[in-house]
Amino acid sequence: MAVAPVLEVRDLTVDYGGESPLVAVDRVSLDVGPGEFLGVVGESACGKSTLMFAIAQLLMPPAEITGGSVRFKGHDLVHMKERQLRHLRWHDYSVVMQSAMNALNPVLTVAEQMRDAMKAHRRVPRKEIEARSTEMLRLVGIDPVHLHSYPHQLSGGMRQRAMIAMALLFTPDLIIMDEPTSALDVVAQRSLMVQIKELQSMLGFAVVFVTHDMSLVARFSDRIAIMYAAQLVEVGATGDVFAAPEHPYTEGLLKAFPSIYGPRRELTGIPGSPPDLRRPPAGCRFRPRCPYARNAEPELARLQEIVSPELLPIGDRLVACHRVQMLERAG
Amino acid sequence: MNGVPLLSAEGLTKHFSVGGMFGRKELHAVDGVDLEIGEREIVALVGESGSGKSTVARLLARLYMPTSGEIRFRGRALVSFRSRRDTLDYRGHVQVVFQDPYSSLNPVYPASHGVFRSLKLHQSGLTRNRRRETVERILGAVGLYPASELIRKFPYELSGGQRQRFGFAQALASRPQLILADEPVSMLDVSIRIGVLNLMSQLREREGVSFLYITHDIASARYVADRMLVMYAAHVVETGPVEAILANPKHPYTQLLLSAVPDPLAPVEVEGGAAAGEPPRVINPAPGCRFRWRCPLATDECAQVTPRLRPIGPGRMVACHVAEPDATDG
Repeated sequence: MAVAPVLEVRDLTVDYGGESPLVAVDRVSLDVGPGEFLGVVGESACGKSTLMFAIAQLLMPPAEITGGSVRFKGHDLVHMKERQLRHLRWHDYSVVMQSAMNALNPVLTVAEQMRDAMKAHRRVPRKEIEARSTEMLRLVGIDPVHLHSYPHQLSGGMRQRAMIAMALLFTPDLIIMDEPTSALDVVAQRSLMVQIKELQSMLGFAVVFVTHDMSLVARFSDRIAIMYAAQLVEVGATGDVFAAPEHPYTEGLLKAFPSIYGPRRELTGIPGSPPDLRRPPAGCRFRPRCPYARNAEPELARLQEIVSPELLPIGDRLVACHRVQMLERAG
Repeated sequence: MNGVPLLSAEGLTKHFSVGGMFGRKELHAVDGVDLEIGEREIVALVGESGSGKSTVARLLARLYMPTSGEIRFRGRALVSFRSRRDTLDYRGHVQVVFQDPYSSLNPVYPASHGVFRSLKLHQSGLTRNRRRETVERILGAVGLYPASELIRKFPYELSGGQRQRFGFAQALASRPQLILADEPVSMLDVSIRIGVLNLMSQLREREGVSFLYITHDIASARYVADRMLVMYAAHVVETGPVEAILANPKHPYTQLLLSAVPDPLAPVEVEGGAAAGEPPRVINPAPGCRFRWRCPLATDECAQVTPRLRPIGPGRMVACHVAEPDATDG
């Protein structure tokens, strides 16, 4: 990347301590460029939400960052004091949570919540608060009369839009979105995605978009990162990954979605289920479900059983798979 | 369809009273739905949340009593069922699998408890040993092996996919002819959804079970179903063979729904649709098409007359004043 990235995550590791300790995010590294749309895809409990919380420094005990770094516009977020973080949060980066139903305060109007958010992070004159709230609601396609509505008076799609309007209040450089469309119907989901893209091209912020639905980001993201059992297994340009997945998990995910286009064909999904992160399998975590591991040659099989594969470049892509890396070395 | 369908409903309607003492209102959850499910047929009922699709399942399962309309099982009207025996038989023939496998299994019993219960109720003649054998056979049939081990497991020891398979096992135990599957895969992880969808196809093939598959996911409906009904705001707006509807959707709502499906294979043009609106809650509705506010084709007639389902092609019906049959495949 020629331009300096907005966000640089290096070997980020998050532990949930307590009685049954587990590593929810395991040495994850990724970059997000200015104005880029990165999709982070993974199944439930793969650690994708924990990763987002760790990046935004919103982890709650017992979760704790035990290694690695998060650099945002050159600032080291991991070692920053709460007081300093407050200046960056919302102003320079913001977060849109999964369920607007729970993230909006039910007893305050939209205007009051927007005012709270602005006052908590900057000194803003009252006139400007009003002007900006109105402008942002308009931007996301909500009539400003709803400034004085309570969350329950808005539909699900409008609530999710209001959340995005709030995240945009200070036009940040980065917005982290944690499954913002998962509670919506397909039609509302589609229109929200189109809207996010439009706002992005208008305002130029970067997006990290977390989802379990790979097909949702197929059209909308520039790059895509696939997460499995707390680790990234493949990162690459969205079109390339969909056209030719390298990691067997990515390949399996693509084969798990029925399509409404093309001929109807038998699908297999991925046998088995994701591992329990309290007792992850040794070596490659996908090995028990991997179709290629079953008849791997002895040398490769030993590697798969003992060594956890690193995320290494394969062409323009990053892939964490012993077989792919071995094939690459062999030419 | 020849002969008597397995299950049919005519004019199926369910209204709920909502609001307080002063403002009694009628919420129309299901309005005049006709449907037929044949032997060994998988019919998908597709709609967004609040469209009334789950209420249809609950009416067919007799968990709700319809406000009006009739349900017939093998040609016999359900209202004529008087005895406990009749009702029990019907419940044995028509089973339900629910959406959430995390809350539909009792946490204090082994997950196989429901399968045993069902056998005791519907096949009370079995000896203890035979019953256990039967449970193991059923667990095998839904892909839960080793059955002898899983028979002892508690819900918390199982993955989501396994739990939902227990849901199907429980439904299968009464040797049903029809299973009403209400969003059986929407709570499951994407990598294991296909397995449960394939299970439905296998059960149709091996056990001869029919399914009403209720879903908001049109792609999965296409994957398992033969025919499809599309619901919008308590009405069925389009029915027909799945492939025919996908190839050429007639109702503007079906068209909107299909264009919104996220799919890597979707055609590249990202048309607008950003201001497509949302489905209405149907409270004390006035006549007229319920989709007209969002419909690009709406006419004056649509605001006054509620469109009824009418034939529009081989095996196809649509409830729209504007939709036209194809000149080519008419």
